[in-house]
Amino acid sequence: MKKTILSLASGAALLAASFSSSAAEKLTLQLKWVTQAQFAGYYVALDKGYYKDLGIDLTIKPGGPDIAPAQVLAGGGADIVVDWLPSALATREKGLPLVNIGQIYGKSGMMLTCLKDSGIATPADFAGKTLGVWFFGNEYPFLSWMSKLGYSTTGGTDGVTVLKQGFNVDPIFQGQADCVSTMTYNEYGQVLDGGLTPEELVLFKYEEEGVATLEDGLYVLEDNLKDPKKLDAYAKFLKATIKGWEWAAANPEDAGLIVLEYDDTGAQTEAHQIRMAKEVAKLLSNSDKGVGYLEPAAFERTVSILLDSDSTPVITKQPEGAYTHIVFDAAAKL
Amino acid sequence: MPKSLINLLLLAVLACQLVLLTKAESGFYNQHPAWLLLLIACSAAASCLLTRLTLLCQHLPSKQAVIKPLIPGLFAFMLLLFWQSIVVGYAISPVLLPAPSAIFNALINNLPILWADFKQTYLKAVLAGYFIGCLSGFVVAQWAVKSAFLRRGLVPLGNFMSAIPIVGIAPIMVMWFGFDWQSKAAVIVVMTFFPMFINSLTGLQSCDAIHKDLMHTYAASKTQTFVKSQLPQALPFIFNALKLNATLALIGAIVAEFFGTPIVGMGFRISTEVGRMNMDMVWATIVVAAIAGSLSYGALALLEKSLLFWHPSFRGNK
Repeated sequence: MKKTILSLASGAALLAASFSSSAAEKLTLQLKWVTQAQFAGYYVALDKGYYKDLGIDLTIKPGGPDIAPAQVLAGGGADIVVDWLPSALATREKGLPLVNIGQIYGKSGMMLTCLKDSGIATPADFAGKTLGVWFFGNEYPFLSWMSKLGYSTTGGTDGVTVLKQGFNVDPIFQGQADCVSTMTYNEYGQVLDGGLTPEELVLFKYEEEGVATLEDGLYVLEDNLKDPKKLDAYAKFLKATIKGWEWAAANPEDAGLIVLEYDDTGAQTEAHQIRMAKEVAKLLSNSDKGVGYLEPAAFERTVSILLDSDSTPVITKQPEGAYTHIVFDAAAKL
Repeated sequence: MPKSLINLLLLAVLACQLVLLTKAESGFYNQHPAWLLLLIACSAAASCLLTRLTLLCQHLPSKQAVIKPLIPGLFAFMLLLFWQSIVVGYAISPVLLPAPSAIFNALINNLPILWADFKQTYLKAVLAGYFIGCLSGFVVAQWAVKSAFLRRGLVPLGNFMSAIPIVGIAPIMVMWFGFDWQSKAAVIVVMTFFPMFINSLTGLQSCDAIHKDLMHTYAASKTQTFVKSQLPQALPFIFNALKLNATLALIGAIVAEFFGTPIVGMGFRISTEVGRMNMDMVWATIVVAAIAGSLSYGALALLEKSLLFWHPSFRGNK
């Protein structure tokens, strides 16, 4: 009898111990867009168990054309979101305190892809042309660029006519637009797949035009950073994420295939994902501190581009506390 | 207690809540949950006032015209008061749900933008699409009454067409007719054609044989038979379709604008301002759409009343 009680007790203790050790911190990551190699690093880290090794139970929620990551964060549907800095800053000014805890992309992948036939050779030729632009918070870099060039975006012979482009490149094939917005890693490939050759196109990379703003970064709510337990979880998440991205950059072909496995919609193709994984590897943050470190200079550059835009103010004042390195530093110490 | 004193007391409770809303700092329910009691008292007071107004309406038939609109007005006011109180009282993030006051401010401060959107979506796309869709539906139904070929062919197709999701045809129409309002009008034509066709067909076919015989004995011409007998009898069905299509057209235009627009229009505004987290602007656009929808429905109902005064359903209401 004594023996049974003893064994029962020890069994219960063991059970309790196993529970406490396996109680991984649950985190949810909301992506900015659908499952694709733009987010290869997160899927690689998930697939390779990098999150699990650090005690993080991560759920990745794909985004889509009708999902605003910041809104999901505000509603409690996610702990961390992937967003672009311009829209994050605009949201912050609206009263939702988003804070950047890590910057994955150091370079912008955005460009305006124009038909040579339309007579556009330099940005000076945009007058009177029709340009396709993505909205939903992605229009800020474009609007500040036009403002810098001095074009009105309401049409006319001196200004440019802006089309709200769907998330595809159809307008350039149908002759409805002279230029369309593309990402180096995604839609540019679709333009080429659609039958246009690089010789028929003129590319204006935001990076080269001096209007590049920071893209994919990781954002959390400011108040949560005051909680040491959450801060610790974020640091573990960031460390595993960085490891995932480094692996994805080194092995783009395998990373593309891993992403494909997580695509429940089955809409993505192998060739497209591998090409995307190769392209995004070129955009990863290249600071001497490695992937994930937000360069204050790059942050300031984005802010000044946004503040300069006089026609449609994206943000009206210098943001305070919109980024922090405490999570990155804590991750480095893990 | 005299009745007027009770009424005054009830109004005072509502006034207290209004003062609380304007004076207290946001998040007051988080700090002092006891204030919720006032909100509960408010809803009790409003329900009391509603009963009193309804009774008053019955006792004073001469003042009905004044009192009757007050009843739904008070109810709407109470709803807004609740909304405002909860959002402000619990300091709910404006990204999730803006307060009615914020929506009203957005509406007032952005009138030129909202007007441009309204012009683009309603005055251009909706009106054109609605007119073409309804008219062509009616004309084809007119032919189908006479032609068994059209009738047998188009009716099953109508069921098929009404099952097509708008998100499926909108991108195609944008591809065919471009980004401007024409493609939205085309979506609306597709959406409104078949409800009108089916309803008109049923209406025109519902004509009693005895009426036809009567017109025949009068030696009425075909046009006379149509205008004096067939068309009036089909009108209730046609108005059904017109009212149904009024809402369909607005929905169609707004959703179609999600798939590519020039940078103006109500659908564009909603989809863009959601991305910019300007939820007050999104709601302001929704308010405009709701008002436009209600007004067009109301206008159609009035027109119906004036044209169908002879119909049993209207005769009975007098």
